Amino acid sequence: MGLKTLEKITAALTSRPAELEQLRKQGKKIVGWLAYNIPEEIIYALGLIPIRVGQGGDGRLVEVGARHISTKNCVFVRQVLGQFAEKTDPYIKQLDLVAIDATCIQLYRLEELINFYFDYKTVVLGVPRNFATKEGHEYFRKEVEHFTKKLELFAGVSLEQSKLQEAINIYDGIREAIKTLYSYQSKDNAPLSWRDVSAVINAGYNLDRLRYLELLQELIKEVEEKTSEPQENQAIEARVFLSGSLIPPGDTKLIDIIEQLGGRIVGDDLWSGLNFFLNLEIKEPTPFGVADAYLDRIPHASLPYLDLPTDGRLANLKHQIQQFNADGVIYHTLRYCDAFTFKAGETKDVLKNVPFLEIHTEYSGSDFEAIRTRVEAFVEMIKNKKEIAELV
Amino acid sequence: MPNSKLFKYPEEIKDKFISTKGLKFKNGTTVSSAEIWEFMTEEAPRRFPYAFDANANNIGRFSDDVHFLSGIKRAYLTLTFKDRLLKEHAAGTPTVLVQGGQAMDAYYAAGAIPVRPGLVMQWAQSMEEGLNLRQSETRGINILESGRRKISIDACNQISAHAAIDNKVVPIDLIAPFLCLRCSDMAFLVETHRNREHDIPRYMVDYPVDHENKPWAAEYIEVELKELITKIAALSGRKITDEVIFDEIRLENRGRKIANEIAELWWNAENPPINSTDFFAIAFLANDFLGDPVASVDLLEQSKQEIEERVKNNVKGYGVPDDAKRLYICGSCVGPNAHHAETAGAVFVGRDDNWSCISVLVEEEGNPYLNIAKSMLEYPYEQRTEKRAEWTAEQVRRSRASGVIFMYQWGCNYQSGVARMISDIIREKTGVPTTFVEVGELGRSEATEQSTNRVEAFIEMV
Ligand code: SF4
Ligand code: SF4
Repeated sequence: MGLKTLEKITAALTSRPAELEQLRKQGKKIVGWLAYNIPEEIIYALGLIPIRVGQGGDGRLVEVGARHISTKNCVFVRQVLGQFAEKTDPYIKQLDLVAIDATCIQLYRLEELINFYFDYKTVVLGVPRNFATKEGHEYFRKEVEHFTKKLELFAGVSLEQSKLQEAINIYDGIREAIKTLYSYQSKDNAPLSWRDVSAVINAGYNLDRLRYLELLQELIKEVEEKTSEPQENQAIEARVFLSGSLIPPGDTKLIDIIEQLGGRIVGDDLWSGLNFFLNLEIKEPTPFGVADAYLDRIPHASLPYLDLPTDGRLANLKHQIQQFNADGVIYHTLRYCDAFTFKAGETKDVLKNVPFLEIHTEYSGSDFEAIRTRVEAFVEMIKNKKEIAELV
Repeated sequence: MPNSKLFKYPEEIKDKFISTKGLKFKNGTTVSSAEIWEFMTEEAPRRFPYAFDANANNIGRFSDDVHFLSGIKRAYLTLTFKDRLLKEHAAGTPTVLVQGGQAMDAYYAAGAIPVRPGLVMQWAQSMEEGLNLRQSETRGINILESGRRKISIDACNQISAHAAIDNKVVPIDLIAPFLCLRCSDMAFLVETHRNREHDIPRYMVDYPVDHENKPWAAEYIEVELKELITKIAALSGRKITDEVIFDEIRLENRGRKIANEIAELWWNAENPPINSTDFFAIAFLANDFLGDPVASVDLLEQSKQEIEERVKNNVKGYGVPDDAKRLYICGSCVGPNAHHAETAGAVFVGRDDNWSCISVLVEEEGNPYLNIAKSMLEYPYEQRTEKRAEWTAEQVRRSRASGVIFMYQWGCNYQSGVARMISDIIREKTGVPTTFVEVGELGRSEATEQSTNRVEAFIEMV
């Protein structure tokens, strides 16, 4: 389906680096952020420009990064370090500050390295690993308050409640819109593909948030007008759900393979995908309110949780698989991403009869054929099962 | 090859040894030196032949300096670890899996025996007796591989400890480590136990990053420590008061102070009074206390006296080469082979991992939970990397090191992540050459050439 708004989003993205350059000339400051629990609302409310940085899929940059870290660090961390080392990325070279939260300690290590080797100003937000406890909440409240104070100093303004509320409203709108875009995937004839949605999400991390919200609303309107047209019936499809380590912009290896082999990605619980937008309800426009909301959402796998039956991450995974009517799960783990890798067997156990395939990979292309063979067998198996079920 | 020769304590030192003081234990008993001698020369070689394998590749090999008599007692504490733990466990003392390199005060105070992953692995290996070095290593590797098969090939060797617990090779009653900043695998490995049949209770004491000038960081740990101690006390049945905790803090502080005094003596001596193996093994007592803080502190005191005597008489530890190149060792859970290093002309002068927690005393008045929390937050090893490196550089200067080796294990994401940065900072601050080495063969005495060669090449270069 040719969607005009998608073209608009692409155009906005193309002109964004130059736009940022202008804004910086006018005195605006850019805060690049990495990790999983940075409260963007606060950055935005202080008049700073938040940009989520970090790409994947580039073996050469991984090599560059590995000169400062080791090959035993997750490949995403290595590549991002490579990006900071080279400073050719149009966003990274324009950052005035880098904010990183310590959900994943490998990213915390990355912060130390970019600060030490590449002279970036950084700010760290501590995240409690006992996140479900009262004391964990207390700690995080103070951390977010402290983080806010540091940003206030950097921005030269104080956080105003009304500004924070405005930011929360914009971000709530973005979250709702992304959920709507995802909801189309549960249909047999989705008006736009998972890959399209993923591209829209990635674009959003760089665009002005208010403009982005407008574009999302326009996109939804356009999609809904078009979906009222009747769609023809489609052949049996293998509806694949993606889980595991993040798949950042630029890392298309697994997605390409799945799609080339006739699989259709219908949903995910990735932190580069849907999870980021779920269950975040800021009840009060204060740093404490923001802290509570962030800590109470679906936990990232980097935060260990010791009781299996009440694990919110797994509950969400099961729920999303059902929501998207998925036939099987491809669990993507990056090498040395222990947070997700160590849980692969357990996730398979928990999902019981849901077909499950773990792909443990890096950004090099050397495992392309091996992954292809395994995904091919997986997609075939799902299709066969569905065919048999239809016959019965 | 391993198992070629077995090491024996020579008869001619027996009289001198048995005339020394025995070791006092926390249950009030004393084991005489004669009993220790009997155990180390008769019973232990029969039950644990691997420990006496004289092959230079045997990383756990005892010190050749048989005239340093405290060294023999130190080996006794290692080889009786299994018996002591099993006996206490049978009598109701809970055993707790903990993180290495952290203060053990809270665990002992609550009436438990804390066991770090490295010691769980040793304990698991020793559960089958009569094994030679190769058999013992094979047993260890089988446990390790069973863990990796279940969880991930990306896990570091710590997974052996979790596999040994899962497979009920050793009885652990609670899994409750400090998370700290050194270790990438602990938190996720603790989490794996939630999907096991055994259902051993679990808890973690979190360690906040970037905690400087943040009182809420210590308050967070304080609450967690209360929770930890309550959980352990429920298992041990011990009634916990502040005074009970302070008694333990005072005892362990004493151990830490003596270890620091020993380090100063060693560093300032004209000739290193004890060799690398003994130096590290004795200092380690104040970091781990090997299941019995009373015995460990007693041995630290005896060691210090012996070392003082040696320094006074300008005695050089056996095995320390003349004009030894002085190496400071960085990194967790793994280190170079001391025998190889000494043969190549070097001696080890310090180790950031163990020294980190020894260097910080816990305050002995006020709120014991908060005091322990504050001391944890002060560990140099768990600071931001730049600060940790600056402290290490200071250690390098004080110990007059002429080279620094940073070692990390395969699968250790955090130490590997900072190895280069720490090495760079130390080199810049001290002018001392540094290198870093990844070790993949921990737990084996065969096929160790790669890391051995790198260490030897570095020693030559220094
Ligand atoms: S969570 Fe995993 S993929 Fe994400 S930065 Fe950490 S180690 Fe890398
Ligand atoms: S090697 Fe690293 S990851 Fe493994 S136990 Fe030691 S500190 Fe933890």
